Amino acid sequence: METAVFRLKGVTKRYGDLVALDNVALNVRENEYVSFLGPSGSGKTTLLRVIAGFETPDSGRVFFQGQDITHVPAHERAIGFVFQNFALFPHLTVIQNVGFGLTYGKQPLPAAEVDKRAREVIEMVGLTGMEDRGVDQISGGQRQRVALARTLAMQPKLVLLDEPLGALDANLRGRMRNELRAIRERLGVTFLHVTGSENEALAMGDRVVVLDRGRIIQTGAADDVYSAPASPDVAHFLNRFNLFDGKLTAGKFTGPFGTVPVLAARKSDRDVYAVRYDRMRVMPASTVAHGPALKAAFVASEYLGSSIMNFFETGDGHVVEMEHHLSLGAPDIYQPKQDYLLTWNPDQAIVFGREPR
Amino acid sequence: MESRVLKPILAVYVGAFLLFLYGPFVVLTIISFQQGPVGGPQFPIIEWSTYWYRHLFGLVPPSRIAPLPLGDALVRSMALAFMTMITSTVLGVMAAQAFRKRFKGANIVFYLIVLGMMVPGVLTGLGTSLLANNIIGIERHWYTTAFATHVVYTFPFAFLVMLAILNRFDASVEEAAWSLGVSPITTFRRVTFPLIFPGVLSAMLFAFTLSLDEFPRTLFASGSDQTLPLAIYGTFSVEIHPNIFAFGVLTTLFSFALLSVYGILMALSVRRARKMAMQEDIT
Amino acid sequence: MSDATVSVPRKDWTTRLLLLPGVIWMALFLITPILMIVYVSFWTQTTFNISPDPTLDSWKQFFSSTTYVGSLWTTIRIWLIVLATTFIVGYPTALFVGLLVKSKTLATVLLVICVIPFWTSFLIRVLAWRPMLGKEGAINIILQKLGIIQQPIEVLLFTELSVIIGMTQIYCVFMVGPIAFMLARIDRNIIEAARDLGAGFGRIFWKIILPLSLPGVVVGAIFVSVMVLGEFATSGALSGRKVNLLGNIIVTQVGSLKWAMASVVGVILTVVMGIVIAGFLRIVDLKREL
Repeated sequence: METAVFRLKGVTKRYGDLVALDNVALNVRENEYVSFLGPSGSGKTTLLRVIAGFETPDSGRVFFQGQDITHVPAHERAIGFVFQNFALFPHLTVIQNVGFGLTYGKQPLPAAEVDKRAREVIEMVGLTGMEDRGVDQISGGQRQRVALARTLAMQPKLVLLDEPLGALDANLRGRMRNELRAIRERLGVTFLHVTGSENEALAMGDRVVVLDRGRIIQTGAADDVYSAPASPDVAHFLNRFNLFDGKLTAGKFTGPFGTVPVLAARKSDRDVYAVRYDRMRVMPASTVAHGPALKAAFVASEYLGSSIMNFFETGDGHVVEMEHHLSLGAPDIYQPKQDYLLTWNPDQAIVFGREPR
Repeated sequence: MESRVLKPILAVYVGAFLLFLYGPFVVLTIISFQQGPVGGPQFPIIEWSTYWYRHLFGLVPPSRIAPLPLGDALVRSMALAFMTMITSTVLGVMAAQAFRKRFKGANIVFYLIVLGMMVPGVLTGLGTSLLANNIIGIERHWYTTAFATHVVYTFPFAFLVMLAILNRFDASVEEAAWSLGVSPITTFRRVTFPLIFPGVLSAMLFAFTLSLDEFPRTLFASGSDQTLPLAIYGTFSVEIHPNIFAFGVLTTLFSFALLSVYGILMALSVRRARKMAMQEDIT
Repeated sequence: MSDATVSVPRKDWTTRLLLLPGVIWMALFLITPILMIVYVSFWTQTTFNISPDPTLDSWKQFFSSTTYVGSLWTTIRIWLIVLATTFIVGYPTALFVGLLVKSKTLATVLLVICVIPFWTSFLIRVLAWRPMLGKEGAINIILQKLGIIQQPIEVLLFTELSVIIGMTQIYCVFMVGPIAFMLARIDRNIIEAARDLGAGFGRIFWKIILPLSLPGVVVGAIFVSVMVLGEFATSGALSGRKVNLLGNIIVTQVGSLKWAMASVVGVILTVVMGIVIAGFLRIVDLKREL
């Protein structure tokens, strides 16, 4: 049986009238990479801060390695934290930053030992040679690594990262993602990584936890969440699905594309029909479709690196996206303002309804 | 549009305003070069001379004009200002640090502290000397009663300065230190304090200056010990001479030197604070 | 899974510990002295002795004497006049520095220039007015040289006017600072918008600039009021004993060891100050501006 290194039970946190966390429960195992995903205001940063000990929950409990740490102050928790703005000590050099916890923490080490360990961690993050530089003399990506090294030097069992890649440009972000994963695997430490970017969450985490308005609305492996969102909100937030409003009645969904048979539906507070961008197919307008059919005019396409996103607009102004992965072959060229017929395999749609069968 | 008309008018006004502000200082500087010992502290200048400056330092043959009793008073003023500076800054930093978290009764404590700068010196001085004389039965001295009242006066200023500094302080470096296992006290000593040091310096300078020139409270609470302002006040009712103006010029120059030193210290420690702002600016 | 140890919230003593020294200091050396003044105002005062036996004698003595009551009115009158003069003298400067000067460096430099005179000891600056205002003082000499007047103006020194001039000069900077600060915070776009709508400068000033600068005016007024109401040095040096403020009375009474009377005047001064400050704080909620 897997032991949870970290557990939350019924954690609630309020700021005045605002409920930031609403009865949150979570188990995290050893050596796991968990991404917290959610829009701003979803409570993901609050959750991280409660785990770190910077905030105390109004109710509920936080467990770490079997101990109840709900009211244990942050500096006694041995949980690392990497800040969005890095929070490096501006009056200290790189190596002084990295060795700070070793020098002034609970069990201070002699200077020689601190120096040795700090240099080891600096090497691990690839900053050898920068030890004596001031914090204002290194680039953003390098500061990111100092922040990470500083935390890892303490050899924590759990590291919390608050949008660590948010401040980096896209190129750096991609590289840092791989490095973070590699470092984590090497050390066998559990990472909890908060992000507002669905791409990042899906790329980084073994497991994705989706939050909205203080509640966890879905957890699962990245692939599972991506292909089977638990609610229209998750589907919307993942930015991977075309969503259509309509009416779900016994076994059928009626939407702007006609009435289509539905195999299974998930319970939700409204009737929504979701089709993944890369499950859409584009046919000439004259085609007679035997399933769902949506007439839309082509607007533009966007090159996303490994795929192309095509944007279509229906008569009533609804934007529908179709994604073509370039690994499947050369893309088709569409004519702007020309009508096309969009269709898909109804078995691949995800349906939500108030009265699922 | 209308600033084309308004701006020059106001500029002229501000020029006149500055003249108004500096008038007395210019006049007293001129008169400090009055001929002595017969020249008085008024126009016309009989003859330009540095007599009174030399008189200050006892470098002239004795005349019927006694030298200003400034030596001891100056030392006392400096010592008092120094003690006040240290005490009120420590209290100010502690209180401002406490105000970073919300707590019950914060309003009352805030106004209690700020009251110290709102009550005029006549009143606190009077009250303190009453307390000392008629209840506690101790003598008034510069290092007891005057010191206590000076701190009452300068502590709120140090407090407000530190409050403003700490309000703009980004606490994430402190949280980072905690997450590394560093206790809050050590964090304050090794992270917070070095970074707020420019503010602490300002508070110290403020407190020192206020105490040095403080007059009404000291008048009542100092007993027989004279501080500089008291010594000067002593010459009010008696005849005044240009030597007091020479003294004024010298002390102004001294303040100027002091502030320059402060400016240099500030520039040095502000560089550190700028490094902090750089963290927001990702290259 | 069973819960091992249950953690409980710890009491946080830090805040209390940090505040304790400061609060104790203020309670001992600010609050107690003020209470002392109230207490002693009811003590029995003989020519050479004072004893804590409660009596209203000193109070009666104050209110039955025209000199004493007169000093109360003089204090209030001079306070109001100086408040007005520092406002009138200081506001245009604040307007220039806060609103019309575009570069922030220049504004700071101007403010520093205004502060430099404070580097000279307060008392010496007060004294410096004597050779300025006297019959043979600087002002008279200059005015006569310029041919504006034939005879020296006598009323400049050793009158109430000289006290007002001196106080205005010394305290006007306390008006300029806060007002300039508030004016600098006004969004220029609002003024632009008003101008586009056709408002002339007069209306812009009355309806926009003045109201928005009000918190600064109130802060400046509080500073000036506190200092003027507690004044005695300026009136002592420049009025030749003619102007007696409440502060002067306290000083002379203490000089002759009449503690009870000094305390009575002290209480009256405290009440006046309390009313004034409370009144100002009503107008503007200061905590919001901080």
